[in-house]
Amino acid sequence: MPAEPRTLIYLPGLAGDPGSSPALAALEADGWTVARPQLPGFDGESGFRCPDDYLGWLTALWDAVDATGAGPCPVVGASVGGMLAADLAVFRPEAVTRLVLLAPFGIFDPDHAGLDPYAVPTAKRLKPLFERGVPEVFGQRFAAKGEAEAPVARYLTDIAAASLIWPVGDRGLANRLHRITCPRLVLWGSADQIIPVGTAAAWGDHQVIEGGGHLLEWDQPDAVAGAIRPFLDR
Amino acid sequence: MLWFHLMPYPQLPEDFRERYRSVWVDLDAGLLDPEVVASSYETYLDQLVFAEACGFDGLCVNEHHSNGYGLMPSPNLMASIVANRTSRAAVVVLGNSVALYDPPTRVAEEMSMLDLLSRGRLVSGFPVGTAMDTAYAYGANPGTLRAKYYEGIDLVLQAWTRPEPFAFNGRFTKQRWVNIWPRPMQQPHPPVWIPGGGSVETWDLCAERDFVYAALSYYGHLVGKEAMDGFWEAVERAGRDANPYRAGFLQFVGVADTDAEAYRLYKEPAEYFFQRSLHFYPGFVDPPGYTSEASVRRKLQSSVRAAAMTTQASGGPTWDEMLERGYVIIGSPDTVREKLEHVARTLHVGHLMTLLHFGNMSDELARQNTELFGTKVLPGLKDIWSEHTDHWWPANAR
Repeated sequence: MPAEPRTLIYLPGLAGDPGSSPALAALEADGWTVARPQLPGFDGESGFRCPDDYLGWLTALWDAVDATGAGPCPVVGASVGGMLAADLAVFRPEAVTRLVLLAPFGIFDPDHAGLDPYAVPTAKRLKPLFERGVPEVFGQRFAAKGEAEAPVARYLTDIAAASLIWPVGDRGLANRLHRITCPRLVLWGSADQIIPVGTAAAWGDHQVIEGGGHLLEWDQPDAVAGAIRPFLDR
Repeated sequence: MLWFHLMPYPQLPEDFRERYRSVWVDLDAGLLDPEVVASSYETYLDQLVFAEACGFDGLCVNEHHSNGYGLMPSPNLMASIVANRTSRAAVVVLGNSVALYDPPTRVAEEMSMLDLLSRGRLVSGFPVGTAMDTAYAYGANPGTLRAKYYEGIDLVLQAWTRPEPFAFNGRFTKQRWVNIWPRPMQQPHPPVWIPGGGSVETWDLCAERDFVYAALSYYGHLVGKEAMDGFWEAVERAGRDANPYRAGFLQFVGVADTDAEAYRLYKEPAEYFFQRSLHFYPGFVDPPGYTSEASVRRKLQSSVRAAAMTTQASGGPTWDEMLERGYVIIGSPDTVREKLEHVARTLHVGHLMTLLHFGNMSDELARQNTELFGTKVLPGLKDIWSEHTDHWWPANAR
């Protein structure tokens, strides 16, 4: 008998969403359908206007989530997407049944400041996000737009992601975490240069994924999928 | 003719490039000697006053943060002293970066004070601010910086000119009561100049709002020509006349009795500037959103700009490269006058902003440079645009 169709919402990290990570692909192979809310600016399209403030971003998020028609369902958020996923659970608890956070932004610990991902020369900004090298799919992102337009598209997506966390990525989540009522799983890469694993304790219970960088779902897909799968199936 | 001071920290070590990654943002505070800074302030302020005595029409200061390139986080402090110690020249403040101040009303107030302190000699400059100053040193979100900047200028202009208290309800600044005291002496307001580095939006802003576009390129008139051409195209699109006084251009200049003497005298301070004062970490120059989409496209197409940036990143230009590319114009008074006239006419620029002190130049050489320029170069350049009227000059500067 075929399994019930199951949907989860995925919110990507700083480098955007060039296609399913191996970890996400493993969940898809299990029968999960992945819904991807389209946040402004992350598509690299011309004419992006940055929301005025964080509330503007959250409003855009809620609209984008509702547009998928996927909720209520589990939400998986990575990095900057993790911050948004957490706030979705805070402000729209009815939309989130389970919450998976992969090294989320949102709480900044000056004792574990990490590397400023935007204080790196533009051409080298992807590298520190990964512990095991930049997956080829990120380099090829927007290649279809051609040699002239691809760098512009990459720049525009960078604007969107950077705007969400500028200047230090603290959006006050520490004061709101108690509002999350659904079960949550927090995973953190042991080798995260951007938000060092020392920050993870501020999010409560968490699991450390050995050998994972900031975008740990790409660095350690088996371990990440292995942790998420039983949590979602519980 | 304007005399522009960057007020650099003059004692960065010789091996600065090798030992430190950036003159901006994360510069080691251990390099800073307060006595050197205090003495430099005195010397630099004296030089500005001296420039007025040598016949310069305007004295420029500007705003930078967290750096050894320019020691003026608050140009208004310097301008207030200059205003008090001079009586004729325009006081040209090419800060304030309005988006950094919350509310920008503070800028309107301080500029009003400066206009009164100088008795109507203020030029009010509103730069966006460099990426290092704004996004990194001050933590401004580059994705909204430019929009906030435009809004800030609007607020300042309204604060200067609206006769009644008003409410300002912008995207970024919301202020129920705006009613600044004091108001500027110049009416309706001091001339507005916008320092720019080649952004498409700044050209349009200046052209549409009737502001002066002051091109601050350190990379000579070839790079400057691209910026100025873009500006003049914007002026034409806006349906305005091509009065050269709509534009300003910054140029390093070294004058001596002979060309050979100038070559010898200005090498060291120029190398100091380009190799130490401009030694910044590439990771601090391009925060996402600081450059608009349109400007990104244009810069990707600019081979001249790319060549200048590549040279800067790979150790800075040699002295001969600086001269060949026009980064620095040096020579005898006749040579300099001829070259500057060429620059002014080629770029169609009415306001030449000269940097006659740069890098670690000694006070003695800066004064010699200023005096030679004032007595032997400036008179030959004063009237090259005499058929045009300067509508962007302070009412009481003479």
